[in-house]
Amino acid sequence: MIPELLSALPLTLAITFVAIVAGFGLALITTTFRVRRVPVISQLADLYVSYARSVPVVLQLFVSFYGLPLLVILIGGDDFLTATIAAMVGLSFYHGGYLSEVMRPAYLAVDRGQHDAADSLGYTFRQKITRIVGPQAVHIALPGYGNSIIYLIHNVALVMYIGAADVMATAHLIMERDYNQYQFPTYLVLAVIYSILCLIAWLIIRAFEVRSPMYATKEAPVRAALMPSV
Amino acid sequence: MFDIDVLLPDLWEISGAIPVTLAMALVTFVCSTIIGSLFALVEHKQIPVLREFVVAYKVVFKGVPMVIVIFLGYFGLPPALQFVASAFGMEINAHATPNWAILVVALTACLAAFQAEVVKGALNSFDKGQADAALSLGYKSSQLFRRVLFPQTVVSAIPDLANSIMVIMKALSLGFAIEVVDIFAQSQLTAALNFYYLEAFLVAVVIYMVIAYIVTTVADKMESALRVRT
Repeated sequence: MIPELLSALPLTLAITFVAIVAGFGLALITTTFRVRRVPVISQLADLYVSYARSVPVVLQLFVSFYGLPLLVILIGGDDFLTATIAAMVGLSFYHGGYLSEVMRPAYLAVDRGQHDAADSLGYTFRQKITRIVGPQAVHIALPGYGNSIIYLIHNVALVMYIGAADVMATAHLIMERDYNQYQFPTYLVLAVIYSILCLIAWLIIRAFEVRSPMYATKEAPVRAALMPSV
Repeated sequence: MFDIDVLLPDLWEISGAIPVTLAMALVTFVCSTIIGSLFALVEHKQIPVLREFVVAYKVVFKGVPMVIVIFLGYFGLPPALQFVASAFGMEINAHATPNWAILVVALTACLAAFQAEVVKGALNSFDKGQADAALSLGYKSSQLFRRVLFPQTVVSAIPDLANSIMVIMKALSLGFAIEVVDIFAQSQLTAALNFYYLEAFLVAVVIYMVIAYIVTTVADKMESALRVRT
């Protein structure tokens, strides 16, 4: 049973990886608009973040699954979307919105004097981010980032409901082939698999967390987001 | 394609599930907060063996996705209940346990781990000097709890508690896998009847966002009204 489950692991990991990368880019863009207060766009960004945070991930997945084809047809493309792509897009949007709410507090938590010093030296916004505020914000944001990655891994388990053939879906296939005799043990195995994935992600983030304080000021307040996101 | 005419009937039908969802969320919230408070107390008082148990509990329930916990509860809880009941010689049919009860129990188990963090954070924010002052005035520990500690920790925990209510609301959407009808499941049922999937899901999105907006606004108002300015 376990080798068969693990054969579906690459798809789960691929969806996770795409969501991590694309979500990070989305979060960077969204956070930039939000902290710079670009008139209309920042309100739209706020709306997007509250969508990503207050709507269940299952519902977000379904919205992207049924909404994307409509969007693609409206702009005149072919409907090439599979459940896997819909899952990737949906989870990227979810992760981007969640991550933006990790990045913005981290940006704001960097000491006010550092912002002012950078501004008074005539740094552009981009220089300020890459040279002064960014390196310090990374240290503040890392615990929250680790949490958001773990919740993303949790939510990849939901991809099954829109029909992507990930580990959960394979488990359902296996259970049904055995006439639903071994449901409880199968879910236990799944729990162990996801726990191990989370553990690996946590260890990686932990390694970065150990390295990151070299740019940090002494009394940076660190407060990671406590609650899970479903 | 996208039909605007079905939005209003859909809204009417889906909002019929709001009271049930809120009721289940409230039960889960109360139970998980009580258990989480007990966990936080154990960690705060550093009770030897129980502390290790609480840490292990937290690690397990933070690493496993909620869907899997719900499924484990769905397949594991009735047999376990039956076993316990027959061990005590009671004649019940545990397999007739309603699904919503299983969902509430599974979510309570998950959320207790996170509520413990919330309560622990609130306890840590409590000023030790006030406890000393109250004790030196001859307060009993029950009076200290009721008159000094409890009012302040509750107020400082309000934002996190509001957040966790929203998390529970969202987590209930996973109940559709075990046939519990909440807002999301109702939107799916509505969509399945008239085949306007995207419309029904967008209506559900709007409902969730409105509820989140109301919860956060009320929490902000309560916090600013109750917080003692120092």
